[in-house]
Amino acid sequence: MENKFQLFFYPAFIFIIILVLVFQGSFLSYFFAQGRMPDLVLVIVLCLTFLTDEKKGMLIGIIAGFLQDIIFGPLLGVFSLAKMLAAFLAGLISREIYKDQIIGPTLAVFLLTIFHEAVVFLLVSLFWRGSCSNFYYSLKNLFLTRAFYHLILTVPIYPLLYRAEQKNFFLPYFK
Amino acid sequence: MCRLKQPARRLVIILILIIFLLSLSIFTGKFYCRYGFVEDLLMTGTLPVQGFFSQAGERIYVFFEGMLEYNRVLEENKWLKEQLAVEQNLNIQLMELRKENHRLREMLGFKRQTAYTLLPAEVVARDPSQWFETITINKGHADGVQKDMAVVTSEGLVGSVFFVSKNSSRVLMLTDSRRAVSALVQRSREPGFIGIIEGYPEKKGSLRMSNLSPEANIQPGDTVISSGLGGVFPKGLVIGHVVEVGQDQYGLLQQALVRSSVNFNRLEEVFIVFEFPAAEVETE
Repeated sequence: MENKFQLFFYPAFIFIIILVLVFQGSFLSYFFAQGRMPDLVLVIVLCLTFLTDEKKGMLIGIIAGFLQDIIFGPLLGVFSLAKMLAAFLAGLISREIYKDQIIGPTLAVFLLTIFHEAVVFLLVSLFWRGSCSNFYYSLKNLFLTRAFYHLILTVPIYPLLYRAEQKNFFLPYFK
Repeated sequence: MCRLKQPARRLVIILILIIFLLSLSIFTGKFYCRYGFVEDLLMTGTLPVQGFFSQAGERIYVFFEGMLEYNRVLEENKWLKEQLAVEQNLNIQLMELRKENHRLREMLGFKRQTAYTLLPAEVVARDPSQWFETITINKGHADGVQKDMAVVTSEGLVGSVFFVSKNSSRVLMLTDSRRAVSALVQRSREPGFIGIIEGYPEKKGSLRMSNLSPEANIQPGDTVISSGLGGVFPKGLVIGHVVEVGQDQYGLLQQALVRSSVNFNRLEEVFIVFEFPAAEVETE
């Protein structure tokens, strides 16, 4: 029975991530300048990981990142690796924070967004651009803007997922 | 049999995953290849949803923009109507000049320029990250689109197709760091290369024309067009206008800062160029 539920979790997760990615690329692109758009998928991955552990977090991170690579990125593996590593760290952080309080996950999402963007920056500089852009400028104007958006988005998204988890919505996957 | 302990095993798995994903990035970055079936399935499957979200976003954006800038839109509408009348007049003159040009070319024995056909396409999505300058359009190989076809708007050059699925394609825009275009200064016919400005994200969207000789006749306000060399972009498409002229980092050549004529942030409709004029060859 457990396996049946676990099998159901992944297709549902993949479907939701595809929908969110499409929403981001099509709808949100009208309201945000390019590069300053929030990465809803990253927020979802990190919030879900806070409710489970680093192992499952890495798996959902790699799935979400790979879908982003396929749908948008000309390079495969960049977002998969960045989201996997960010989710791994989120899993480690989840042991140290109070899951029933919003402040810990919110601050963690802020910091992990900067980490995620820095990893993508490095990979894109190495394998796509062939040169390194101005890191300090990117940090100041792009990473921090995005991290701030994510901080705000975590406030409604995390409690929603937390309540769902409390009502055993993700059972038995998250146990 | 040697059995690894739990933390060590986990570390090995993480390292394997990192190496695998890094290799995948290097491979796809170097060979610029995409795998077919899964991508095709995802792109085709998500196209109607992308179209729906894109239209919804556009309508909401236009609605609020109209409300906020009602007076400006009214003035713009009036100006556009006047401009349309001027353009119609110009169009008639252009038709006459085209006919005359055609007659003269035949008299001089030049090969005829192949007229290119344009296929309109809607932009249904764009890469939400800041790292890749790509857009998704709703025309694919079912409509005859092929890799490396040029994509333009009425304002000028946008980029070229780099991935084609059945009903949609992805376009790599001029503002991407991987894109370089052979260009000409329209007034003086000075050749150069157009690429983005690396290392200065604050100049995002601006282009740099490099490889200009020290004596090149170029000045702010000049129009830059595609030269047609390289075989991807047709000759004569407007790329942008020169904003600044200066020396390159070694002081040997000139370079120019070019403001693109296309607003890459607000692309809604584009055209795919099907055939482009062959380079003008004089027949002996």
